[in-house]
Amino acid sequence: MTHWFAIIMGAALFTLMIPVIYRIWVGPTCFDRILGVNVIGTKTAVLLVIIGTLFERVEMFVDFAITYALLNFVGAIVISRYLNRTISLKDMESREKEGARKR
Amino acid sequence: MKWISLIPVVGVGVLLLFAAQDFPEWGDPQSPASQSPVASHFINNTGVDTEVPNMVTAVLADYRGFDTMFETVVVFIAGIAVLAILKGSGGRRRGTRRAYEVEAEPDIIVTHTVRLMVPVIQIFAFYVLAHGHVSPGGGFQGGVVMGASFILVALAWDLDHALVRMSLPRCMAIAAAGIIIYAGIGFLSMFLGGEFLDYAELEKVLPVSREMARYHAMLGVEIGVGFTVTSIMFALYANLSTEGRLKGGL
Amino acid sequence: MMSFSSPFQCLASATVEAGSSEGGFLVLQVIGVLLGVLGLIFFLGAAVGLVRFPDFYTRLHAAGKGDTLSTMLMLTGFALVTMEDFSLSSWLLLIKIMAVVFFIYLTSPTSSHALMRAAFEDDEMPITEDDIKKRNRQKGGKKS
Repeated sequence: MTHWFAIIMGAALFTLMIPVIYRIWVGPTCFDRILGVNVIGTKTAVLLVIIGTLFERVEMFVDFAITYALLNFVGAIVISRYLNRTISLKDMESREKEGARKR
Repeated sequence: MKWISLIPVVGVGVLLLFAAQDFPEWGDPQSPASQSPVASHFINNTGVDTEVPNMVTAVLADYRGFDTMFETVVVFIAGIAVLAILKGSGGRRRGTRRAYEVEAEPDIIVTHTVRLMVPVIQIFAFYVLAHGHVSPGGGFQGGVVMGASFILVALAWDLDHALVRMSLPRCMAIAAAGIIIYAGIGFLSMFLGGEFLDYAELEKVLPVSREMARYHAMLGVEIGVGFTVTSIMFALYANLSTEGRLKGGL
Repeated sequence: MMSFSSPFQCLASATVEAGSSEGGFLVLQVIGVLLGVLGLIFFLGAAVGLVRFPDFYTRLHAAGKGDTLSTMLMLTGFALVTMEDFSLSSWLLLIKIMAVVFFIYLTSPTSSHALMRAAFEDDEMPITEDDIKKRNRQKGGKKS
């Protein structure tokens, strides 16, 4: 029963990831894409535990899940701090256009 | 034109999924890759020789220890190269700010969470390092997690806040100490009558059997690797993110 | 009828009478499956919100809350499902999975907050009622 529960949960997670991938693909702003990547990264921790249940080596895969959640957090903080410490993307684009016009 | 590239990607993906059916069972000792004489030798003898349950760690740190030592040296040389290139060029424009950079206060929620998480992450790094004999892990992985905790401090506040705790001279001293630990264990086993990195000879100084001496020497070697990787990770981040200025940062 | 080595063991071996024809499944497993399905429902909400909501901040609201809660529920469910016997290693496994849950409980809202702040300082303005009215007017103008 555990086996089938893990398989069905994994399939359902993959199915529900499709809308998130749609948001990454379409996303009007770059923040939407980052958000989608973040959501999928969090769900990957769950998927790793599911894979561990299927292989019956959960104690090994849980370590991977912790590391993946940690990397996901570090990635989100990196991107948000980078965008905090630079001028906004619209200003950057307009500056680039001005530079191109001057040349 | 972008859409045309989707066709080969999907095609190759379907082919890979189709080929994935032919994989051997996970952890199957009868799979073709495990049938070669070298692999079967390790499968049969690792547990007897070293009492390490995780075969990968035993091969990496013991049977192939010479290779791993110079991998660590390669990591060290990479750090030295980045420092040598960026340290000099950063001096000329120290303190100047790029046109696209603005002042940003540290975020209070992020800093408080990082303050809570960093000790936990560092304990987890020690766990990954020390548990590498039993589960996946070891010096390189534990060092990367440890370096990530220092990078997290540098991200949440700014680079100066992290450099107070881990300045660049200290980084390089720790990195060199890691290699000295690794090579020191090798030379120690050489002086005790064996060959270079022949850990079994350490039984003369450790109060354990020959197998357990190899087990414990592997842990020492992994600690050396962890030292080097941690400090080089942080030194690379500090130099690359600020282009050698060591000011402000990402 | 049996001697239980720990007080929790009676919980694990209490079989559901109705399903005993299938060999008896355990109470903990049923709770774990229920928690997992509940997490899937919350993740469905997050996914629908991520597609349907009009601007970045509302999408962040849906994703941040639904994603965190659903991940925590699913991991807790799996921690209970994999709890087969009450030996030391299975307790260690439970503690490890709960560590992941705790980690996500702390970090996922924080990364949502950091993203929100980055977007706000990047002059990404939330959508207002005037914007919606204007958009509707433009759509109506094109149609007529």
